Amino acid sequence: MSSRTLTAAASLSALVLLAGCSASPEADETSEPVDGGTLVYATGDAEPTCLDPHVGGNYPQALISTQYLEPLVGRDADGTITPWLATEWETSEDGLTWDFTLRDDVSFTDGTPFDAAAVKANIEHLQDPDTASSTGYLAVEQVSEVEVVDDAHVRLHLSTPKSALLEALSQQWTAIQSPAGIARGQEENCRAPIGTGPFIVEEWVPQQRVTLVRNEDYDSPGPEADHEGPAYLDGIEWRFIPDAATRQAALASGEVDVVDNPLPSDIAAAEGLGFTHIDAPRPGASNRIELNTAQAPFDDVLVREAFVRAADPSPGIESLFLGAATRSYSPLSSVEPLAYSDESLFVTDPDAADDLLDEAGWTERDDDGTRVKDGERLTVRFPVSTNQSTAAEQSLFEQIQANAADAGFDVVLTPVDLSAWYGALSAHEYEAVSAPYTTVGPDVLRILYHSDGTVPAPSGYFANHAMLRDPELDATLDAAASALDPDERAALYADAQRVVLDSYAVLPLYDQQNHFLVNGATGVTTLGTVATPTFVNARLTD
Amino acid sequence: MPALRWIAARIGGALLVVWIVATTVFFALRASGDPLEAILGGPGSQASPEAVEAARREYGLDRPLVVQYLLQLWRVSTFQLGDSYARRESVVGLIGQQLPSTLLLAALALVLAWLLAVVGAVIATSSRGIAGRVVDALLRGVEVVSTVMPQFWLGTVLILVFASSLGLLPATSAGNDPASLVLPVVTLAVPIAGFLAQVSRDALLEADAAPFATTARARGAAEHRVLLRHTLRHASLPALALSGWAFGNLLSGAVVVEVLFARPGIGRLLQEAAMARDVPLVIGAVAIVAVLYVAVVVLTDAVELLVDPRLRGPRPRVLRAPDVAVGS
Repeated sequence: MSSRTLTAAASLSALVLLAGCSASPEADETSEPVDGGTLVYATGDAEPTCLDPHVGGNYPQALISTQYLEPLVGRDADGTITPWLATEWETSEDGLTWDFTLRDDVSFTDGTPFDAAAVKANIEHLQDPDTASSTGYLAVEQVSEVEVVDDAHVRLHLSTPKSALLEALSQQWTAIQSPAGIARGQEENCRAPIGTGPFIVEEWVPQQRVTLVRNEDYDSPGPEADHEGPAYLDGIEWRFIPDAATRQAALASGEVDVVDNPLPSDIAAAEGLGFTHIDAPRPGASNRIELNTAQAPFDDVLVREAFVRAADPSPGIESLFLGAATRSYSPLSSVEPLAYSDESLFVTDPDAADDLLDEAGWTERDDDGTRVKDGERLTVRFPVSTNQSTAAEQSLFEQIQANAADAGFDVVLTPVDLSAWYGALSAHEYEAVSAPYTTVGPDVLRILYHSDGTVPAPSGYFANHAMLRDPELDATLDAAASALDPDERAALYADAQRVVLDSYAVLPLYDQQNHFLVNGATGVTTLGTVATPTFVNARLTD
Repeated sequence: MPALRWIAARIGGALLVVWIVATTVFFALRASGDPLEAILGGPGSQASPEAVEAARREYGLDRPLVVQYLLQLWRVSTFQLGDSYARRESVVGLIGQQLPSTLLLAALALVLAWLLAVVGAVIATSSRGIAGRVVDALLRGVEVVSTVMPQFWLGTVLILVFASSLGLLPATSAGNDPASLVLPVVTLAVPIAGFLAQVSRDALLEADAAPFATTARARGAAEHRVLLRHTLRHASLPALALSGWAFGNLLSGAVVVEVLFARPGIGRLLQEAAMARDVPLVIGAVAIVAVLYVAVVVLTDAVELLVDPRLRGPRPRVLRAPDVAVGS
């Protein structure tokens, strides 16, 4: 279905909702929160194929596993690392040894005590090729040995210093599970991983729901918890509703209490309907268009700058997202404390774009206005993954396409499924691309812009789509990755971002969108790590 | 023995369909992406080299493509559909879990489509005079509109009206709860009903004017008796012949409806598997759907044989192609 159909359906849905529900939005304000009851959460993300986020490691797994697994450390809204299952940590001078002090009063929900041996078992599980961990594996790649000092102390030995270690360990993809649970084997552990979290996986009926029940012995409150002890809810019914209009209808009719991935129009209508809107941008990289610097025409910095001057995404972001997204001028998400932003580099200037293209030798134009040089048209192949780009974002790309056409670019947008998109990247059949990358901390810059990232992984994937190969940038990113002094680290990441932005190979658009709408519940918050919701404080208000 | 030959031809046809489908799916999925993605947690995964190699060996992806294809065919033909790449569970088990839900949906939708079609046809043919012509024209209009109505759109509108605005029915559907089945069944049935109604109304009109109806009336039979004993039976034949096609249509419509109403089922399983390049699951699901489809076509032929005594003559006329053109 085209983006227009979806947009039409979306506006229709907003209209009908307004018409149907305007009568009773005040109802929620008078109802008091109650303890107990089952909250129904409806996700539009794909259903995980495995509930253990060590296996593979994608966002849907982070979303649900936040309810039953907890990481060693947390991160608050300011980006400060906080204690969680580990209470204290210390780094050696050379950054190669990390000592963690663990809570000694926490047990997994199967009764297995949480201790140093459990941490060791988890890191080894992440590193075991049979686990097929991707995201979690990257987080603990540099850990060469896990030493059990005593029950409450564990020592990690690293092969190279890693300043992002704590950020990496705060991610849900490295959260700690019961060693006894892991020992049951992958098949069983995928169905019901065992953790220390506020809820327990009771049952998974594929394509329908995961039933989560309260952990009565819960006693390891994370940074978002407002109280000690177990959650207020009896449980959560986690449902999979792929269609956004259906999710919204289910929310409006009270069939579900919380939804994710609402459409921009539904977010805009939320307040009038008495829904609570939670805006929780994802950390890591911002959503951005990357220009392939490894091949014509974007191997010429003049042409890249011309594209940036001509693209003019801001009006589109404002109109298409209806206020739900703010323009970004940084390669990093606005929730990253070390994000560096420079608006002056991205001023829209069609005249300058024309001059730059003239200067670069693209002086002629063919019949449809596309610039030509030595018989070559100024074509920009832009494969768009329909699995990752929302309807609003695809419309934004169409506007950018139209704006760039005025300057003489022929931007060919090709909507494709994830696999074909991935294939186009591997074959370098792209000049422009937009790819999300969620992780915690500025180390994502090394993943995305270090020249190591131009070399495909065994699976064919490479993260450096801009194909930046700058030895100085590499050196800065390497130094930042091992810098343990916070000030030095911040300065190095600022330098790196300046280099990336100055290259005109990246056109930042907005933060990775993460929105939740709540109807009939209070106390829903999101973690400062990958912005997944936690229901430890949640109460129903019916 | 004509019946045996007839059955053999049907089974041969089914095998051919499954073979074509399996081959197409195999090469289409392989041409557009590497199934290793599905095995290793989806695109973008940066699995370690050891994990990639182990997976390649484990799933036989290190062998030549032709060998993999032949192995896949062998598995399908012996009904060893293997394990899903993404879910690491048996394909037969996964499909077995989801199939009843889809079959229930499709069966109810077929029944409703039939009801709507017959009621529509009877109303259209039994109204007389100017009012009758108006009703007839109106019904024809409704039939055409419902036939071309996209299920995605129809379903969305039904959800918005009956779930979000009126709050009468749930927006999502799971299991056998009658209330939650209403909207998906209606969404699925309406376009089929329009098609069946068009065909059966014309046949009903034809039967109504046929000599046997006139004879019955001349012998003093009441209108409802003529309808129930004679004309309706005659009119149901072309629609019955189409029921096999309708069932196939329902199975493909199930993909849209199951995604829209978040209903479990083989359609949604297939959609997710195709997105993930989960070759064994897609081939398994499609093969089972193809077998089902052929089985239903055979079944409707058999029912046709029961309803229409003329087909039970010396020549097995059921071997002929359906004489009603099927729109695409």
